[in-house]
Amino acid sequence: MLVPVFTLDLKQKILPGRVCIGKYDSAHACLTASTTADKVFIHNPHQRLGTSGGRMSLSQSSAEISLLNINQTVSAITAGVLTQARHGDTLVVGTPTNVLAYDVQNNADVFYKDVSDGANAIAIGRLGHHLSPMALIGGNCSIHGFDSEGNDPFWTVTGDNVTSLTLTDFDGDEENELLVGSEDFDIRVFKNEEIMDLAFGYALANGTVGVYEKLARWWRIKSKNQAIAIYSYDLDGDGVPELITGWSNGKIDARNDRSGEVMFKDNFQSTVAGIVEGDYRMDGKNQLIACSVDGEVRGYKASTAETRYSMMDVNIEQETIRELSQRRHTLLLELKNYEENQRMGSSGEIVYGKPSTAGDQVGIIPANTQLQTGLAINMGNEEKNKPPHVEIALATTNDTVIRAVIIFAEGIFEGESHVYHPRESILTSNIRIPLYPPKDVPVDLHIKAMVGYKASLHYHVFELTRQLPRFSMYALCTVAVTPPQGYVKFKLPERVARIVMWVNSNFLLLEDLQLDEDGALDVSFLSLRTSMPLLIQANNQCEMTIRTDDMELASDLIQALANYLNLEDLQVEADFPSELDQLASLLERVEEYHATRQRLSAEMADHSGVIRTLVVRAEDARLMSDMESMRHWYRELYNLNKDLISGYKIRCNNHQELLNCLKQVNQTIQKAGRLRAGKSKTAVISACRQAIKSNNVSALAKIIRTGSS
Amino acid sequence: MKNLVPVLACEDRLLRVMRDSDVLYSVELPSPSTCLQLFYNDGGENGDQLLYGTSDGKIGLVQLGRGAAIHRWVSENGGGAGSVGSSRRGGVTSMDHHDMTGDGIRDLIVGRDDGSLEVYSYEDGDEAEPTLRFSMACNESVTSVQGAVVGSAGYDEIVASTYTGWVFGATTEPMDRHMTSESGVVQISQDSKLKIEKLRGEIDDLQQRVLRERDQYQAATQSAFPGISAVPFFSINDKMTLNRSDASYLLSLEVQTAIDNVLLQSDVPIDLLDVEKNSAVVSYSTCDPDSGNFLLATYRCQANTTRLEVRIRTIEGQYGTLQAYITPRLQPKCCQVRQYRIKPLSLHSRIHSFDPNRPYNVLTLKGHFTFPEIHSWVVFCLPELPERTPTGEQAEFTFVSTFLETQLHCVYSAKEAIFKSDNISTISILKDVLTKEATRKKVQLDISCEVSEESVVHALQLLHPRLGAQLMLAKQVSLIDALRELSSHESDTSFLSPEYQYILDNADDLQAQYRKQPCHLERLYGMITDLYIDKYKFKGINVKSRVPQLLEILDNYGNLNIQHLTNFFQAQ
Repeated sequence: MLVPVFTLDLKQKILPGRVCIGKYDSAHACLTASTTADKVFIHNPHQRLGTSGGRMSLSQSSAEISLLNINQTVSAITAGVLTQARHGDTLVVGTPTNVLAYDVQNNADVFYKDVSDGANAIAIGRLGHHLSPMALIGGNCSIHGFDSEGNDPFWTVTGDNVTSLTLTDFDGDEENELLVGSEDFDIRVFKNEEIMDLAFGYALANGTVGVYEKLARWWRIKSKNQAIAIYSYDLDGDGVPELITGWSNGKIDARNDRSGEVMFKDNFQSTVAGIVEGDYRMDGKNQLIACSVDGEVRGYKASTAETRYSMMDVNIEQETIRELSQRRHTLLLELKNYEENQRMGSSGEIVYGKPSTAGDQVGIIPANTQLQTGLAINMGNEEKNKPPHVEIALATTNDTVIRAVIIFAEGIFEGESHVYHPRESILTSNIRIPLYPPKDVPVDLHIKAMVGYKASLHYHVFELTRQLPRFSMYALCTVAVTPPQGYVKFKLPERVARIVMWVNSNFLLLEDLQLDEDGALDVSFLSLRTSMPLLIQANNQCEMTIRTDDMELASDLIQALANYLNLEDLQVEADFPSELDQLASLLERVEEYHATRQRLSAEMADHSGVIRTLVVRAEDARLMSDMESMRHWYRELYNLNKDLISGYKIRCNNHQELLNCLKQVNQTIQKAGRLRAGKSKTAVISACRQAIKSNNVSALAKIIRTGSS
Repeated sequence: MKNLVPVLACEDRLLRVMRDSDVLYSVELPSPSTCLQLFYNDGGENGDQLLYGTSDGKIGLVQLGRGAAIHRWVSENGGGAGSVGSSRRGGVTSMDHHDMTGDGIRDLIVGRDDGSLEVYSYEDGDEAEPTLRFSMACNESVTSVQGAVVGSAGYDEIVASTYTGWVFGATTEPMDRHMTSESGVVQISQDSKLKIEKLRGEIDDLQQRVLRERDQYQAATQSAFPGISAVPFFSINDKMTLNRSDASYLLSLEVQTAIDNVLLQSDVPIDLLDVEKNSAVVSYSTCDPDSGNFLLATYRCQANTTRLEVRIRTIEGQYGTLQAYITPRLQPKCCQVRQYRIKPLSLHSRIHSFDPNRPYNVLTLKGHFTFPEIHSWVVFCLPELPERTPTGEQAEFTFVSTFLETQLHCVYSAKEAIFKSDNISTISILKDVLTKEATRKKVQLDISCEVSEESVVHALQLLHPRLGAQLMLAKQVSLIDALRELSSHESDTSFLSPEYQYILDNADDLQAQYRKQPCHLERLYGMITDLYIDKYKFKGINVKSRVPQLLEILDNYGNLNIQHLTNFFQAQ
């Protein structure tokens, strides 16, 4: 058990995940976190902060706490050195619409910017070859980098809403890369402005925590609780940091970065809100500081080598004996199974073919029972309301039946597993389970099938793993289809045979594809989700055309292909008329929403003027004891207030719509980028950004088509 | 010389004190007792005090007199020694007394089936419940505890055995005795070293044998020769108990070796509730209504989990079977099925006193059924009854609804059965189920129902305080955040009304209480709706179309009063 070196109760609620530590005067560490009522509090036990006034006010309850009024929901917060010119850290606060850089020491705003994509996550630091540090803001599908002046020299798009950001030297070239986690279950690594595919820890919304080094995952564990915060800190003083995780149930644990083994743990009464590191005792050493949502703060000291062993469980010898005994116990049980099996087999008096009941105390099936599996595409049945799907067929080789099947797989079911459990009366030895993978990702299906006889109390479990190919939801089309309008054309410096190999391994085909006589490839598929056609053609020069109206599918195909062939750069020619039309109309709507927003803001400003006069008049009337007119003015005020509220609702809706549109625009740009690989991809994204900034819709379409303006 | 008196702890919540082979008298307990121990190991001053532990974790003391017993005290969850109410304790499996604290007074040592070991000390002798001093958890259910001096002279120890066959001692001896040397290396005693080496050797040996056998087994599965694969059952320690305090079931499963996964399947709608100490990852699978499944959930256990607890909420009137497929981490991989009946009146539990002064609805059945037949039907409907037909001509049982505290009184013999309940829904469920059972057995039944209008009002009055309290709680909890914000801005909160001050002062308690009873309000709503529908069903009127109106009244219940609700119920 981990013993804290200090414990504080701040008596302030802390919003989960919105905690940071900053040295605003470059010497004293201050715990900073967002709290209720759209405020940020700064806990400074060592020194009085600057004057109050402006945003800052001193807390009534404690002299060590200052409060900042943000007046918007705080969505992210961080502190770091943003400018060399000034000593100390700058506090950066993100809200759904704005980002504020704030100089705590001088109680002044550094900059305050609109970010229409919102700020879900913030990181401060140097990125790639950029010389000055930047505040990187992750929002809806986009990432902005602001420097200390509030300019944004960096901008890029990503696949979905950004949920987390961090900077690290991923490939060891002494330049920081940006790691981005987003809602579409991906972690992306950006170098300069391009996505690349060092060790980092990650935590997922479904309760998984793990460590990657480069692209290899060292370990991961899954818990039913959610990880709120993770941090890397060398707690045992051995020179290697541990992954510290704070959980939604208040647990905090430190795990070995290589094995995932729990080294230390502690428990809070409520959800952990954040974990940071800072010198809070002014002894020149950084402590690990964890806080809970109820404002409890605990600091942990890194132990030195001498004290390390005292933290180890004193019962180490007992533990070893226990663990060994447990292993022996398991082995003995297994051995007993085999012995029993042999004894029954040789006695010859036991017959199989009947259910094993409570009296039998043994479950018997023929020894040569095997489980056969197959993956196939089922075109569905409209009458039975079954859409087309992929199905997995399981069959035993004799009269045993399959009682139930559990399939564990990630990302294709609502939870982590899917259960097939038919009625007792219709049990057979041959079953088909429909699967509807929602995304084009390769999935490992871990199948556990329970095999035995009807009404049995005991079943043998057959375990096996099958891989579902990435593009399994596309059925090979045998009849001619009308080619879709959208296409991507490119030439690959490869043999067509390798493309065929790639198709064979990534699609679910009954038999492998072959090249036709001319050495060319022409194959068409039908999407099981949308029934839209997909054509993949390549001539013997390996000039490829992918025809589909789904730009996302095309970009997925190209990324998968580029990965398979290890392409460093790929420039393509593309056209997706329907998506481009949609993009144009989206941009028009964005314009409209912007206009509406301005109009509404102007209205609100007018109203506030009127309010002021009304209040003054009403109060005047009250002082003059003219109750009649006072009532009149307050009634007016009340009506105005109602107007304001309805106006606010309209603004909210407008803003939401705007966000949705911008998200779609960003996603389209992302897709356009993903139609290319390497440098071309980066070029397309920055060119698109320029076009949007200058509001040049035709140039945008051209960039998406050709890859340059 | 003292006479020995046998005392039996029975499943029907009774302690039976015997003389020779007759029951002298019986003592009613709050729940079925699982463990008995003489107070202070000798029965106290007069040798007549007896401690009992129950299946839902309570410990109590009774004094057995000549003709009757006196209840001295009952500790709900471990005497409330700073424990949060939500962490329910496991059933008591074993108790012993030994002076662990060294104060000259023996302490009570308790072993529970959720793996906890506890030491309580008696501060007021037999006058009051003891206080919890120490506790430890071992993740496996404890089968027996005993206090003694075992491993090291002069140091008291608790020796415990667990379900998987592990025997261990918890000592009062300070453990830093042979700790770190200067080099920072932990020294392991010679004794342990030998033990570990021996174990290692044994394991290596076993591993070889297992590998050989495994290959042989694999070979058998490949051969054309028709052999068999026979895997013996592994033993499962399972229990499904009704928890009176929150009207939910606790299903606990324990296997001798680590569990890989558990599949729960049910053919009736039930809810699974989260159990705090479970580390298993639960995943719900979508249920195709055609397949007859209402619940498909998998629990994937973390390494070294031998025990799984699941809390289940049932709905009265919905009956069927819950099945658990348990797969341990043991080769060859096998799973075993355990089935649990969800009875139609699953939330009722046995009591032994009947209050005749309530307004009762009476259901009378007459027909050509035998005594064993009617008994089997009643067993089908209600929990906590023995399968065997009681001796004598007639049986009489009383039940209480754990949720609403309405009573059900059953008196039946061959050819006639009378059921009385102050809850019309209970009668309605019984009627439906019994009719169905009788039709299945092709027994002609003559059913008559006496509906008491008063009973509906009575039931509503029982519901009223709970409904009010729940609505109040929900309202208070929703105010907490706002009030906390206010208080963070003001140095002094004395200007707040007493009600708000109360909320602010007890915010944590209120929130804990609210979290403890998820969906409590929904359950109450469901109960009231059933009551409403059942009331009119007996009159032959279908009022389903009026249910939305009822729900509207319930939603506004905070502003209205019980009269409103009763009026609605009485409207034609």
